Amino acid sequence: MHVNEDARIGVDIGGTFTDLVTIADGAVRVHKTPSTPSDSERGVMDGLEGVAARYGIDPEDIGFFGHGTTVATNAVLEGEWADTALVTTAGFRDVLEIGRQARPDIYDFDAEKPTPVVERDRRYEVVERLDERGEVVEPLDEASVEALASELADVDSVAVSLLYSFENDAHEQRVKELLRAQGVDASFSLSSRVLPEIREYERTLTTGLNAALKPVMDSYIGRLETRVAEEGVGTDVKIMQSNGGIITADAARDRPVNTLLSGPAAGVQGATYVAGLAGIEDCITMDMGGTSCDVSLVEGGDPLVTTDVEVGDYPVSVPMIDIHTVGAGGGSIAWTDAGDALRVGPRSAGAEPGPVCYGRGGERPTITDAHAMLGRIDPSRFLDGPSPDDAVRQAVRDHVADELDMGVAEAAQGILDVANANMARALRVVSVERGYDPRDFGLVAFGGAGPLHACKLARELEVPRVVIPRTAGVLSALGLLISDVLYDYSTSKVRPWTDVEPRTLAESFTTFRERGSDRLDTEGGTADSLQFERSVDLRYAGQSFELTVPVPGGEVDEDTLETVVERFHDRHRQRYGHAYEDEPVELVTVRLRARGVVDTPDLHPEPVEGTVDDAVRETRDVVYDGRTHETRIYDRRLLPTGTGFDGPAIVEGTESTVVVHPDQAASVDEYGTLLVEVNA
Amino acid sequence: MTDSVTLEVIRNACIAVCEEMNANLIRTGYSPNIKERRDCSCALFDAEGEMISQAENMPVHLGAMPFSVAAAIDRFPPETLSPGDAILLNDPFYGGAHLPDLTLVTPVFHETADGDTELVAFAANRAHHADVGGARAGSVAADSTEIYQEGLRIPPVKLFEGGEPNESVFDMVLSNVRTPDERRGDLRAQEAANQTGKRRFLELVEKYGLETLTEALDEIQEYSEARMRAEIDELADGTYEFSDVLDDDGLGNEDLRIQAAVTVDGDSVTVDFEGTADQTEGPVNAVLAVTASATYYSVRCVTDPDIPPNHGCYRPIEVKAPEGSIVNPEPPAAVVGGNLETSQRVTDVVLGAFAQQAPERVTAAGQGTMNNITFGGTDPRTDTPYAFYETQGGGFGGRVGTDGMDGVHVHMSNTMNTPVEVLETAYPLRVRRYELRQDSGGPGEFRGGLGIRRDIQVRDHEAHFSLLADRHTHQPYGLEGGEPGESGAAELETADGETRRLPQKSTHELPPGSTVRIRTPGAGGYGDPADRDPEAVRRDVRHGKVSRAAARAAYGVDVAAGAAAGVEAAAGEPYEPTDDAEGDDD
Repeated sequence: MHVNEDARIGVDIGGTFTDLVTIADGAVRVHKTPSTPSDSERGVMDGLEGVAARYGIDPEDIGFFGHGTTVATNAVLEGEWADTALVTTAGFRDVLEIGRQARPDIYDFDAEKPTPVVERDRRYEVVERLDERGEVVEPLDEASVEALASELADVDSVAVSLLYSFENDAHEQRVKELLRAQGVDASFSLSSRVLPEIREYERTLTTGLNAALKPVMDSYIGRLETRVAEEGVGTDVKIMQSNGGIITADAARDRPVNTLLSGPAAGVQGATYVAGLAGIEDCITMDMGGTSCDVSLVEGGDPLVTTDVEVGDYPVSVPMIDIHTVGAGGGSIAWTDAGDALRVGPRSAGAEPGPVCYGRGGERPTITDAHAMLGRIDPSRFLDGPSPDDAVRQAVRDHVADELDMGVAEAAQGILDVANANMARALRVVSVERGYDPRDFGLVAFGGAGPLHACKLARELEVPRVVIPRTAGVLSALGLLISDVLYDYSTSKVRPWTDVEPRTLAESFTTFRERGSDRLDTEGGTADSLQFERSVDLRYAGQSFELTVPVPGGEVDEDTLETVVERFHDRHRQRYGHAYEDEPVELVTVRLRARGVVDTPDLHPEPVEGTVDDAVRETRDVVYDGRTHETRIYDRRLLPTGTGFDGPAIVEGTESTVVVHPDQAASVDEYGTLLVEVNA
Repeated sequence: MTDSVTLEVIRNACIAVCEEMNANLIRTGYSPNIKERRDCSCALFDAEGEMISQAENMPVHLGAMPFSVAAAIDRFPPETLSPGDAILLNDPFYGGAHLPDLTLVTPVFHETADGDTELVAFAANRAHHADVGGARAGSVAADSTEIYQEGLRIPPVKLFEGGEPNESVFDMVLSNVRTPDERRGDLRAQEAANQTGKRRFLELVEKYGLETLTEALDEIQEYSEARMRAEIDELADGTYEFSDVLDDDGLGNEDLRIQAAVTVDGDSVTVDFEGTADQTEGPVNAVLAVTASATYYSVRCVTDPDIPPNHGCYRPIEVKAPEGSIVNPEPPAAVVGGNLETSQRVTDVVLGAFAQQAPERVTAAGQGTMNNITFGGTDPRTDTPYAFYETQGGGFGGRVGTDGMDGVHVHMSNTMNTPVEVLETAYPLRVRRYELRQDSGGPGEFRGGLGIRRDIQVRDHEAHFSLLADRHTHQPYGLEGGEPGESGAAELETADGETRRLPQKSTHELPPGSTVRIRTPGAGGYGDPADRDPEAVRRDVRHGKVSRAAARAAYGVDVAAGAAAGVEAAAGEPYEPTDDAEGDDD
């Protein structure tokens, strides 16, 4: 990738704020502006104007514009997408609706399966059939395709998903050609392009979602590009996709289904980068905002990627950063259930009215209110009016303490303990349940509420060190600036490993490599910044879980195949505790990732001089696990580079507040990152 | 009295322990039954054998596991147990459910300050093994008449002693199954899962102290019990009876009645199966653990699903099942289908009884079967033997305010299906058609869910086929004026085009090229069809879920020709005039 001297800007639109991070002349600058959900581009324009006014970086100076978007995610969550049709193999139009047959909840009779992405009367069958090797069992009946043209005249988007299209895409291509020739001018999504992988339900659903989102994404990007260009930005818009890589706006238009975790993926990328600067390559990231907490695991500097993620009840099978979400955020409401147990969330007070302590009419006690009551945050810092201490106390008393017959302070501590128990479960899911020991990891906390909880959670899980980035509240926007360009290519080829010839494997890689090079070339890449990462998904014959194994570089020969299968056994042993070296191994999917490496900017801030004492704002009483400690409250901006201090301490930043518990020790590194030793 | 915060934190921690055991079992398990279909469950029990928490995949395991722990304690009282022991069992007449479900119970010992050890809990898990010997590969024989034909029967035995595997037991078990390496792998995975549970539980003992933890665990159970009782208390007192039948046992014994009298008395419920048919020759006898499990499930569904599942939930429920009946048989009854089919009918009957006092809390009958199919033979592509087992979803019952779900597993089952592309790649079979059955959902203000049609063809070889299903004769009932769902059916079409109906419990040798057509039942509708929103009827017709003829006959709604266009017209094969297409026949 060509990196120029121009300013780079990352723009992440969140539910409450639109964050902008710029890097120009070696300086990182942050700007926040309220999001404008009804017209989200307006928030971006406001932000660009703010950046110009505040930092003197004009739109004309911008040489890179990276964007994290929730437009596809919101469309899925709200089910508001384009009028879409599906063309599929005769006899299989209900695959999309039947799904995997399991129901969403065992005991709840009111639980519903997700609505099919394409309604039944918009799912059409064509006569054709391939077998598991892609051989034609029944040729495509072209008349059956042409007969559909009149039915498809009024749809915006068409998904085509035929059985075994990942082995042979000829029928899908021909369906598109024939329909185009018949005057169908909708946009097309072919399953052999969107997700050429085995398992018809997941492939069809992913292709159907892609088709349904295409017009939505197209019009959004169109509006954004126009407005950004009008503002004077001369460079193209780049979009973050769910796998943590940057793609062009056109690629996002073509594959909106790849952007469903755009924003959260950018956050994980940003967190990974900052942890790496602190020398921590293995970490668990925790992004706790107002309504939920996103958790993921990073191994060796790379976030784990999965193809098994649910977005709004739909299992979407494209590669995404493995992010696990729980309904615990700063705004999560505490309540007592029918059996007088204390519960927290998943209902949230959201941004409006927000927690009681925001003084905007919230009446139910939230996690944030519990922190306020215990002295960890000081609401007066972000309020104009009088501090609503009494209202917070009253809410905790009325809704929790009185119900449970306990003191108010005890109730506030209880709210935090219950919320932490929920989050500890989530942290275990991404680590212990995936075969990783949290004691070998760091915990990177960000989002408005993450740093309030991280040090306590780390102690709970025996994570030795907590990392709190300086730009914790805007890591997603930062992530947009440091992420590589990534394009993933894959195709399923299910066959015994012993039947795989080096030549055929090499051919797949070559095809993918050419597609990747072409793609990166058109984006202004240069050869020496391109990387190609080859891998295969293997399993023991008869098993249904695959493991992705890297394929070594160089020519693919018999030795390569041997190395790969050895790596598979090793990886199986590492993840599952055992390997079966005598069992036959099966190839499932061939993968290639094309990477355009981005030069990462120097993030060194101006060193802060002075002493730790200079950074003390005040001293006040703060409650930790029922014990009150007189605590120094630090201003994060004034903490000198390279110094340390002991807990208990509260560190107030512009975006979030860090709680350092008694018996913990904190230090500030050269990047302004706060590092906390959990068991000092 | 533990404070409510600590209680909630400990409760979460116990769930986390079970979830971790479960993830561990699924990750390390060897057979697809565990890994893909997730036919396994994990739980923690206190020192008295009462359940503390459970990770739930399979409803039928829910209430049955406590019987396993009780049997383990009965055979090995605490004074005979040592750290490092683990007890294996599958005997349906002594703690098990049916033979393929192997349960491993591991006692958890805590070391006290003076160096003694004290039994503080049990970690247990159950997994459906792909084969446990017996007359048929897969150990789900539709034609067994005695448990001896169904596989190896294991009473509670120590699989591990003092931390060491009991090699004699391993040898004994592995000598009696068709795929011993796979079984060994699965058993090791079960042991590893319990070790995880044990380790995590002891961490909780460490953290909270044994006394506090024990007290909290008691209170967590009391909490669930109290909430359960409060919910039951809301139901009107009285005795409510209902009965339904299993179509047959596969050996000519038909209309096997299951009768339940549900008595609500204040905050407790008694379910009495007096009047139920005597145990029968075919493999549809459900042992008490299965009957109790289906009953507990039903009561849980009519109360708040948010109540944490533990032993406290069961305390208000009493199950009475006459000895020697199909809901509490005596050895050597054949039982493999009791867990799969009879459990579904028990659920239908108990929910049917609740319908009389609280119709708004239940659904009309779901498909009421698991439609078990097994294909076996030699794969001509590789010349190796194969066995393929799967179950099929169908209609979920209509309920107040909502139509039943189409094509899902109901009540006691919740496994995932095998994708067509995976199935055909792994086995010499071809799926010809896989779709929802038009007009199979019982008409009602809220329509019953649709059944599924799945046609599977045998390619280039002769295959053994066995079917174990029900509801081919008697239809799933409707409620509150709703009509019954369409019954299921199975047909065999040979390569030369001849078609014949297959009995619902039968085994066959299929010549190359033959196709088995499975039609699973639709579910009952809820409420008078005349009250259905005509717009919903028109939508169903537009979606092809209800035919125009049925819309007119069942709902009195005329839908203009052309409104149902697209689907049938565009379908590739000529639309076959099967019962699916004719709509409201018989």
